[in-house]
Amino acid sequence: MRPRVAVVDDASLIRESFGLLMSRLDVVAAVATVEELARRRPVVDVVLLDLHLANLEQQPDVRQGIAAIRALRGQGYRVCVYSQEERRFVLAACIAAGASGVVSKALPTARAEQLVLDVASGGTVVPQSVVGILEVLVRRDCITLLSERQRQLLHGRARGLTYAQIAKQLFVSESTLRGYWLDLTRSLSDSLRSLTPGEIERALGLAPGDLLEFWSGDATDVKDWWRVDTGR
Amino acid sequence: MRGRNGRWRVADLPTTEAGVERAFSYFIAGVRLGTIAQMIPAVHIGIATSPDEAVYLACWAAAAFAAVTVSAVTLARRRPLGAASSAADFALACVLLVLGPQVLAPGERLGTWVAFQPAYVLSVILTASGVRSRILWAGGLLGIVVCYLVYLSGEVDGDMTSTAIGNVLTFVVYALVARMFFGYTRRIAHDADASRAHAAELARREEERRAQVMMHNGVAIMRLLTEPGTDAARSQLIDQAEVELRRMRSYLRGRAPDEDRAAAHASARSVVLAAMIKRVCDRFADLNVDALLDLGADLKLPAAQAEALERALESLLLNVRMHARADAVVVHLDQGAAGSWTLTVRDDGVGFDPASVTTGVGLREVVVGELRLRGLDVEIESAVGEGTTVTISSGPAQSAVHADRDTSTGAA
Repeated sequence: MRPRVAVVDDASLIRESFGLLMSRLDVVAAVATVEELARRRPVVDVVLLDLHLANLEQQPDVRQGIAAIRALRGQGYRVCVYSQEERRFVLAACIAAGASGVVSKALPTARAEQLVLDVASGGTVVPQSVVGILEVLVRRDCITLLSERQRQLLHGRARGLTYAQIAKQLFVSESTLRGYWLDLTRSLSDSLRSLTPGEIERALGLAPGDLLEFWSGDATDVKDWWRVDTGR
Repeated sequence: MRGRNGRWRVADLPTTEAGVERAFSYFIAGVRLGTIAQMIPAVHIGIATSPDEAVYLACWAAAAFAAVTVSAVTLARRRPLGAASSAADFALACVLLVLGPQVLAPGERLGTWVAFQPAYVLSVILTASGVRSRILWAGGLLGIVVCYLVYLSGEVDGDMTSTAIGNVLTFVVYALVARMFFGYTRRIAHDADASRAHAAELARREEERRAQVMMHNGVAIMRLLTEPGTDAARSQLIDQAEVELRRMRSYLRGRAPDEDRAAAHASARSVVLAAMIKRVCDRFADLNVDALLDLGADLKLPAAQAEALERALESLLLNVRMHARADAVVVHLDQGAAGSWTLTVRDDGVGFDPASVTTGVGLREVVVGELRLRGLDVEIESAVGEGTTVTISSGPAQSAVHADRDTSTGAA
């Protein structure tokens, strides 16, 4: 049975073509705003959310970015961000806000579809750049991992190793590792959410204030939050 | 300058097999002519006291002629006598010994230069040390000992027995020692020649390898330039081609003497590793490279090592671009304890079977060869359909430059 998905994207072309291009997904709703989805309240396995939803002509003041993720999470939806956004701290903020996955619009369609399926079936898809940030935070004791096995798994994933490669090194099955990874990413997301921007900045050697715009609950509601450039 | 006279000086002889053979010829000529010089003062006494002065004079003249001839031949040949000449030399010595009792007065066969035969025979034995054939040498020596016993027959009484035995032992011991010396010297010269040839071959291979290392990335970029692509992609390739062009021109120019100082200065500089890696990854924007460098942000490497690492990383990413068909590439830098570090380059492309594929110049020389030459460990793990992971690491002994040693240099 195909997983049921809702698409939230301000580009009508993407909304209308999603179901055609990703045939393994059952697109039951395709809307332009989070507010509209909230009104319709479809029952879906995952919401595919574009981060950038506001535009001057059609919908200048709609909720977007971190605020949109939080709103959807508040209504009990599982969220997978589908965006062109590549800045790692923006993506990390999405994971911290409760997104279960982040899929890049730059990926080939089949690959993107597979990742959405992973999220829809209860998995997590954390971008490689965010895995790198998590590893730094763990190594610098900002986030505490309980077991050595979790550390080893994070170590391997941060280097881009596949489950098969890590399984061979740790003498466990791939399915066991996928289970570990699910628990680990949930735990790391929770820990990430609890950190202050200052703590993350110190751990990563950034200047004070570099992350304020991404992590501040108030600032994420401004319509051009994604335009903030950390200068990195 | 090696003038005509200089060529005859032992100090100017080359330390080669040919040089050693020529030094032997000097030794042999010296021994033979020196013996004749020692024989000359006593010749008139010998003629006066000889029971058969004509035969004595003939024997003396034959010995002198043979000594001069052997000296001239060895000097002309620039090496010791051959087998036939040496056999003739031995034969003449034996004849002179056998004729000794006939031409010498009683009581003169031991302890006088009137009896020149034993000294002459000793010079023949030393000459024969350079003969290659061991059988000829041993047979000649045995013949001389036997003939010497004939020479002494009827002459040796109780007082002279020890002198006679001493002379025989002198022949045998000098023959053995001189032959050992000749043989050992020849072996040293042979090993020296072989070592020179080996060193020359190694230098040739090293130059070939250097050329491969210098040219490989440039060739790969030229190949990519010949393939159709977007303007943006071509523009990026042209930027890379210019970098490679500078490298190749520098190699073709060779290193001028004043550049040695510049190179020494460069080796003392250090390069921020993360900045260098980031710069290389930026040249491969089309590969979707995730460069995770935070854990090694403070690492610095000596400029020469960093340059080799930059070339290796470029070569790896060129391989990914040309062969891997990868969706994603991860470049991860990690600083460990005591300044050690690990750089991991992982792609999720088609991979290859390391057991069945002969690695190309890029992996073999630019990556593995160059980095191992600079004390870095390189490990390549790949399987068909499972991508490729290259791990470059430095142990504590080859750790990075201390972070605060030089803050003036960024990416070189």
